[in-house]
Amino acid sequence: MEIATSVGALRSLRMVFGLLVLFLYVPIVLLAIFSFNAGDVSFPLEGFTTEWYSRVFANPALLSALKRSAVVALVSSLLAVALGVLASFALIRRRFAGKAVASALFFSPLVVPYVVFGISLLVLFTFVDRLLAETTGFYIGLGLHSIVIGHVVVSLPYTILTIMPLLERLSVSLEEASHDLGASTWETFRRVTLPLLFPALISSFLIAFTLSFDEFAIASFLAGAQPTWPVFLFAQLRVPSQLPVLVAVSSMILVASLIFVLGAEIVRRSMERRYGREFAARGMV
Amino acid sequence: MATLEAASSRREWRRRERRGTVGLLSGPLLWLLLFFVTPVAFIAAYSVGAVSLFPTDSSVISLDDWGRFLGGGSIYMGLFWKSIRMSLTVSVVVVLLAYPIGYFLALCTKKRKYVLLLLIIAPFLTSYLLRVLAWKVMLGEHGVVNSLLFSLHIRSPDDPITWLLYSQFTVMLVLAYVWVPFVALPIFVSLDNLDRSLLEAASDLGSSRWRAFVRITLPLSLPGVLAAFLFVFIPTIGEFVTPLLVGGTSGYMYGNAIQDLFTRGLDWQTGSVLALFLLLVVAGLMALFGRFVQVRSVAA
Amino acid sequence: MTDIDRILAERYDRRGFMRMAGATTLGAAVLAACKKAETTGAATTGTSGEPVVHPPIEEEPGNLQVFDWSGYGDGTYYPAKEREYLWQQYVDVTGDTPTFILYENDDAAYTKVVAGARYDIAHPYTYKYRDWVDLGVIQPWDTSLISNFSALNPKLVESGVIDGQQYFLPVDWGFIAPIVNVDHVDVQEESFGILFDDRYEGKISWVDTSNMMYIAGIYLAVPDPFDMTDDELAKVRDFLISKKHLVRNLWNQSYEFWKDFRDEEVWIGYSWPDTAGYADAAGMNYLYMEPKEGRVSWVGGLGLFKDSQNYYHAHEYANSWASTKAAEFLMTWYYYGHTNTEVDLSVIPPGVVSALGLDDPTVLDPPRAIPEAYIPRRTLYQQYWSEVLAS
Repeated sequence: MEIATSVGALRSLRMVFGLLVLFLYVPIVLLAIFSFNAGDVSFPLEGFTTEWYSRVFANPALLSALKRSAVVALVSSLLAVALGVLASFALIRRRFAGKAVASALFFSPLVVPYVVFGISLLVLFTFVDRLLAETTGFYIGLGLHSIVIGHVVVSLPYTILTIMPLLERLSVSLEEASHDLGASTWETFRRVTLPLLFPALISSFLIAFTLSFDEFAIASFLAGAQPTWPVFLFAQLRVPSQLPVLVAVSSMILVASLIFVLGAEIVRRSMERRYGREFAARGMV
Repeated sequence: MATLEAASSRREWRRRERRGTVGLLSGPLLWLLLFFVTPVAFIAAYSVGAVSLFPTDSSVISLDDWGRFLGGGSIYMGLFWKSIRMSLTVSVVVVLLAYPIGYFLALCTKKRKYVLLLLIIAPFLTSYLLRVLAWKVMLGEHGVVNSLLFSLHIRSPDDPITWLLYSQFTVMLVLAYVWVPFVALPIFVSLDNLDRSLLEAASDLGSSRWRAFVRITLPLSLPGVLAAFLFVFIPTIGEFVTPLLVGGTSGYMYGNAIQDLFTRGLDWQTGSVLALFLLLVVAGLMALFGRFVQVRSVAA
Repeated sequence: MTDIDRILAERYDRRGFMRMAGATTLGAAVLAACKKAETTGAATTGTSGEPVVHPPIEEEPGNLQVFDWSGYGDGTYYPAKEREYLWQQYVDVTGDTPTFILYENDDAAYTKVVAGARYDIAHPYTYKYRDWVDLGVIQPWDTSLISNFSALNPKLVESGVIDGQQYFLPVDWGFIAPIVNVDHVDVQEESFGILFDDRYEGKISWVDTSNMMYIAGIYLAVPDPFDMTDDELAKVRDFLISKKHLVRNLWNQSYEFWKDFRDEEVWIGYSWPDTAGYADAAGMNYLYMEPKEGRVSWVGGLGLFKDSQNYYHAHEYANSWASTKAAEFLMTWYYYGHTNTEVDLSVIPPGVVSALGLDDPTVLDPPRAIPEAYIPRRTLYQQYWSEVLAS
């Protein structure tokens, strides 16, 4: 490390890092404080209470919103990971004409502003609903399904980006060996490739899930009568009577996600180490 | 004999593979075509009047709305430039702040690298909206910052700092707050991939650490920096949530105009023009600078 | 949904309709569907007064979808009280719990419905009644099913009659006027001009809707603020742009404004009477103005969606809202008026009753107040307002 920084520089860098972490966490610590504050989410503080936490479970609208977000995030993440695996395979393991175009298409949702994407989905769905209503009398309407569709699109680049590097590292010779031994393509995939990809699948699932769970911009345009958690939260933000309860929920979500993410990371590392060790010993990875 | 059989079965497999490629691609491609390309095409069609959904829309195909927007003096064009200015400021500040962070993580820590990285990422597990709310509480006229100033007698309670909240400054501050961790990642990745032996060689040849930084590290990390810059610049031009919460009247941005026109103004045509214009600008930026951005370097 | 094709076929000429269908073959299919809708009449409820058949209440799906402002039932403002006063009666009679879908202002609500959203109950205000009826999504109430109907003020009930049918059941009424923190503001003259007063830069709050256009019009004394000419609209827009720097923020929900008013982040604001109610409860020194131009008055009414599957449920809900208990709630907590004439006014402080004329709905009309009227060129108002926002 001495080649990169002098002692003085190191000290200032450490300070900058420390200040940034402080900057990042001040609002969060503040929220944690308010979740125990006996009054409204504003100064001055009024006394300690755990009332808000107990009230969380007494609020059906809040719990439904959380549940809906969890469902939307689960479904859209699973879809995004599945599609991401397919796309990664095509991009890494296959040669085909127009790969550059396909690649650009897969990654373009990364740069489209959510406001534009959200309203374009709104226009599309409104048009399709109008058409359906006229021709068949059926009416789908906006709702959780619309949000899932939107979230899959924006999560897909992230899942591909996470899966591709690992797929690249995995030697093709493993798959070829499996084929030589008589396994079908599907069997090879299921018993050789998929387990090896598992760490990336977990990571990409987590990324997609976090993205979808907290996503507001697109959901705000596509939510029908049933708000997801961010949409619900936004509506309640302006009505401070509920605010402390929402802050309490958020703290709980933070703790739960930290545990979840740490747990997933531990699992991922152990799997990587296990397979990495075995295959490295055999000179295959 | 065994090798011949193995070779022919491999060829057979490769042939099946090629057919499989179509199967692989069809899922994701179809999804994107249906739910990404088509909606954007709809917006384009809407903006010229080829599609209309409401009685108030004109059903004549014309470039009138585009003309009014691009022609001189449209208020929305001025708003666009205002948003560009704000995004540019935010992006530059964010990159300047994130670079030392990425540098620190990549080149100065060994054992606790990933723990520190996790520390930076953890705030994303709280709701973004509530973090913005916390800032609102901190920056108000009777919020944390002003209360602190009162108690330290730097300012009197009758004279709080008013521009902390509901201003352009607020929007830029909150956006920077949200984006710095995001941006530190690609910078970290590109610095992490730096070949240390180059720095060792420079040191062996008698170069000072500062010179080595300026002439080796910085140039090599520039693609990562550019990627990071675009990574924050592009989404913030169209940002509307933060201005809605803390922008007041002066923090109103281009994204807010789009959202308003679609959700309240019932003017989906002008809204489509604005939306498509933003998309074209973004596409142009990517076309110009995309070759500097290796998308892989963004992956953490 | 069965009526949409009929309404749309009437509204557009063939060309426009075709374009919207997207292709000539699709257009032919649509025309065929049109013919089908005209011949099958059984499921439609009609403005033409055809006899209608509604399944009995036991067969209705329930889960009433109420499309309303926050503070009107879902417990956002007063968790226990909203239910107890506004719709507990409904629960007692039907056993159903409604679902609330909330909006921030009339324009957002209307846009959603135009874009295709459908619910059971809506709650628009007088100046938008015409737009909703023209959209063809509302059916008239059967007032014989509403037991509290006879207790409602007849003159106000009349305001809910469009084209001879009781499309809307008027329930709540109130005002728009500036509210001022008299501890900090020196009121020389009660007028809407206080919202544009240069002395209080950064301490003023406006509402975030195109209503500000007609408020400015009232202040600038245009002949008809609700139907301004292009020149007048441009003048109002430029005036608002010139005064925008005085505004700290624009509010979308009344409680949002109240929080800023209470924290003294703003001292002056466009407001409804509920802010005065909160201010009284908090012991603030305020003045809910009676501007020389007159307060603006509004009346809101419940509407029933044409395609609602909960016909009888909806009537029970409306009945609950029309009761004296609902009236008590609105008056005590929001300082709003209610159309039920049999409410016991002793539950409200007498000072409030007289200040807001809660016992006398004639305060809603000139000369005391300017009733909010239908704005025929509202799209244009919104366009100019968008430009004010964007400048």
